[in-house]
Amino acid sequence: MLQSFLQYLDSNVTLTPGAAGNYLWATVYVVVVIVGVSLAVLSMNWIERKALAHMQVRLGPMRVGPHGLLQPFADAIKLLVKEDIMPDGADKLVFWLAPVVIVITAWTTFLVVPFGPAHAITDMNIGVLFMLGVSSLSVLGIVMAGWASNSSYPLMGSLRSSAQMISYEVAMGLAVISAILMTGLNDTGIYFHHAVASAFPGVGTLSMIGIVQAQAEQGTWFVFKFFPFGLMAFVIFAIAMVAETNRAPFDLPEAESELVAGFHTEYSGFRWSLFMLAEYSGMLAVSSIAVTLWLGGWLRPFATWHGPRITIPHYWQGGALDFASSLLPAVVLFLLALVCFVGVVRMPKIPVFRIQMLGLAAFGGLLGFIGLVLLAPPVRDRIQDIFWFTFKLAVFMYLYIWYRATFPRYRFDQLMKVGWKVLLPVALGVLIVTAIVGVLR
Amino acid sequence: MSLAPILRKIFFVDLLKGLSVTFQYQDPKEIYTEQYPLERPAIAGRYRGLPRLNVNPDTRETLCIACDLCALACPEHLIVVKSERNAATKRKEVIAWAIDVSRCMFCGLCEDACPTDCLELSQDYEFATYSRDFILSRERLEKGSEPTVYKK
Amino acid sequence: MTQPASTSPNTGDRTFLDSTEMVLNMGPQHPSTHGVLRVILKLDGEKVLGTECVIGYLHRGVEKIAENRTYAMFTPYVDRMDYVASVSNGLGYCLAIEKLLNTEAPLRAQYIRVIMTELNRLASHMVWLGTHALDIGAMTPLFYTFRDREEILKIFEKYCGARLTTHAFRIGGCIYEAYEGMEQEILKYCDFLEPKIDEYEQLLTTNRIWLERTKGVGVINGEDCIALGVTGPVLRASGVKWDLRKAQPYSSYEKFDFEIPTGPNGDTYDRYMVRIAEMRQSVRIIRQAVAGLPEGPIMAKIPKVLKPPVGEVYVSIEAPKGELGYFVVSDGTTQPYRVRVRPPSFVNLQALDKMVRGQLVADVVAVIGTLDIVLGEVDR
Repeated sequence: MLQSFLQYLDSNVTLTPGAAGNYLWATVYVVVVIVGVSLAVLSMNWIERKALAHMQVRLGPMRVGPHGLLQPFADAIKLLVKEDIMPDGADKLVFWLAPVVIVITAWTTFLVVPFGPAHAITDMNIGVLFMLGVSSLSVLGIVMAGWASNSSYPLMGSLRSSAQMISYEVAMGLAVISAILMTGLNDTGIYFHHAVASAFPGVGTLSMIGIVQAQAEQGTWFVFKFFPFGLMAFVIFAIAMVAETNRAPFDLPEAESELVAGFHTEYSGFRWSLFMLAEYSGMLAVSSIAVTLWLGGWLRPFATWHGPRITIPHYWQGGALDFASSLLPAVVLFLLALVCFVGVVRMPKIPVFRIQMLGLAAFGGLLGFIGLVLLAPPVRDRIQDIFWFTFKLAVFMYLYIWYRATFPRYRFDQLMKVGWKVLLPVALGVLIVTAIVGVLR
Repeated sequence: MSLAPILRKIFFVDLLKGLSVTFQYQDPKEIYTEQYPLERPAIAGRYRGLPRLNVNPDTRETLCIACDLCALACPEHLIVVKSERNAATKRKEVIAWAIDVSRCMFCGLCEDACPTDCLELSQDYEFATYSRDFILSRERLEKGSEPTVYKK
Repeated sequence: MTQPASTSPNTGDRTFLDSTEMVLNMGPQHPSTHGVLRVILKLDGEKVLGTECVIGYLHRGVEKIAENRTYAMFTPYVDRMDYVASVSNGLGYCLAIEKLLNTEAPLRAQYIRVIMTELNRLASHMVWLGTHALDIGAMTPLFYTFRDREEILKIFEKYCGARLTTHAFRIGGCIYEAYEGMEQEILKYCDFLEPKIDEYEQLLTTNRIWLERTKGVGVINGEDCIALGVTGPVLRASGVKWDLRKAQPYSSYEKFDFEIPTGPNGDTYDRYMVRIAEMRQSVRIIRQAVAGLPEGPIMAKIPKVLKPPVGEVYVSIEAPKGELGYFVVSDGTTQPYRVRVRPPSFVNLQALDKMVRGQLVADVVAVIGTLDIVLGEVDR
């Protein structure tokens, strides 16, 4: 009995994505990714409030936990215990269904996001297409939310929001195509796990893992390929993805100082938190497309340089640069722990602050402990790819916050004009030129 | 058309300039928040806060000479001064002095009118209460406020 | 924000459903109307066909109060009208009563008045810049301008004891002498502020999103401004070079050297540029005033009980928002017979209709912001 159970757990575990042979492991992977995304959203909430505040010469949350670290939890609890209000005359089923649809589409896109060559839930051979398609489904959820609210302002806001999102998806798609074109320029045409591709050199791939491997094999991130056209495609995608996720400077449908307050006006409490969750997850999803397609996914910078070979007994055998980069996750965590301890030292020495000091010191200790764990060889080798991918995602999240702090917002007609009259022709032009340059090479 | 504006437009120079400004302000030295009540603001000497009746520091006697000028000066007629003629010294002495601070706009006209240094608008700005006793008597005004010191 | 309603009455067999017009109410409680202003918009889709402003939500009867207070007692009340720039209000009132009494404040008092009024102009323009940028979507200039304005408010606190409702001047001069170290502090502040104004410009002036949101929005030309009685930066941005500090100098403004910035087109962007330039000119005036501050008394010899001769006077000054005028009628007693305030925001608000016709709904908010209205002044 026990034997067969252990066999069930063991046998079908492989390290190849999409080959989690039994339902248990597939569920585990899915749950791990969803929990990871939720944790990322929670920390994004804190980082956004603190970073935005610091850019605005103020402090942000400071009270709810040392330096406001428990603020996201306080917000989550508050939203959970709020009264659930449904507007009179709202379509009950659609009203309930809209946030569910949006969250499900936002999370489903993470099925194919590769955190490493073997660290994805699955690896579809149409990965990018799947991500773009499923994220387009969220527009349906937005229209449902606006419609079900039975009020003209959410309806107008949801229609504007959906118009904005589908307009910028066109430019996004064209930019994505020009990146996909570059995957087919590989000399060897051999991909891990894609035996078919090896038989046809010069064939590109839509698989997310395949795209990063193409960048690895071509030895360059696609943002630097065919300079400046790779960069232009990346910039177009970076602008379009900000508009896609309804963030500043394209956040007119959500802005409070405009007349229409947006599609989620009538939602409060937990339902609204689902919208917020979906918005941040959407930001993470499109950022992961950008990171995978142009910024080399899980590859570290200068992945082809290994440095002189060094040997540390029982610990490392390989290139020096690889060694330095393998220590980087632990170093980052140690630095964060150091920042926590500096914060502890600088806290006011008043008895009431003692618990905050203890909390912050404990948090710093936890970060340091995780850093130590990351130094152990088995963990260290596996964590490399995940670390670089997450780091690049974090850079994009910071850019989102930076844009929100700096730029005024576009009026709706100007927003649509930028999407259709500026981004679309430029994306089309870049695509054509990339194709020509690719053929000529 | 000259090249520079086109290049500035293509390379997002204007947007980058704005981004650099907000980036620089992340320096912790730039933070302008005062974490009240731990860090209290420095109040100027001339600040017009809650009124206070000063007493002679040596004799602890009030400096008020019951001239009623403050009551006449107040735009909202909030001050009431009750005085009595002391037969011995042939001078008026103040018995009761009250002001209604719920309507006071802290304009300082009473302070300007007082010929002695008795009535003064102090630096007190923390006089919110839980009860509705807005009419402050002479004892309260001579004692001043004792605000709760919050250590959090 | 309330529900939309339709306005066309039933005429014959046309019903309200045939109308493409919609009436939208930007209610008194709105994040962008700078106070309790109600704007009723008639829309055709997104285009504005006409507006009607409903005011009076902040009416406190200030002019009626004046009839029941003595002249000196009324001075604190005028600060509460334009509460953002309260020093100007006090200056205008004191100048009006001084004219009625046929006196003039001594020269040192006039210089101190100029310094305080120009600092107050800076503070008012900073509030305007922060809130206007916030309405258009840029949320950070608000914090930067309020931080810099905080220093001005600290100077006010040290000088007269209050940050916002300053009651800085009295009839006949100033009651507060310059505090110790005031000149150095103000000069240090001027040095501190000039790079900050450059920073505000760096964030906004060439920003393409700002340009798209403000160029061509809310255009009004010079003749319309004059016809409507619009004054202040709105008038100057439409090309009319009219500033009461130069045209009818008061309180020794003729002794200072400064320029009047104007704008060519009369759109929102020009009003923004004019106010930024005015901030720089204010700094210039403050430096000159501090450098040339004469010695002497700060209060003229006026009787303790003020009983101005029977008569009426109208004195207007260049407040940060426009021409602020006081019409005072005296009947010989200690209390004025009538005090009528000509608030610049009230008159400028009447230009709103002309400025937003044909524009989109999202621009109404920008135009209200660019007019720089304070409801305390509009409603009194």
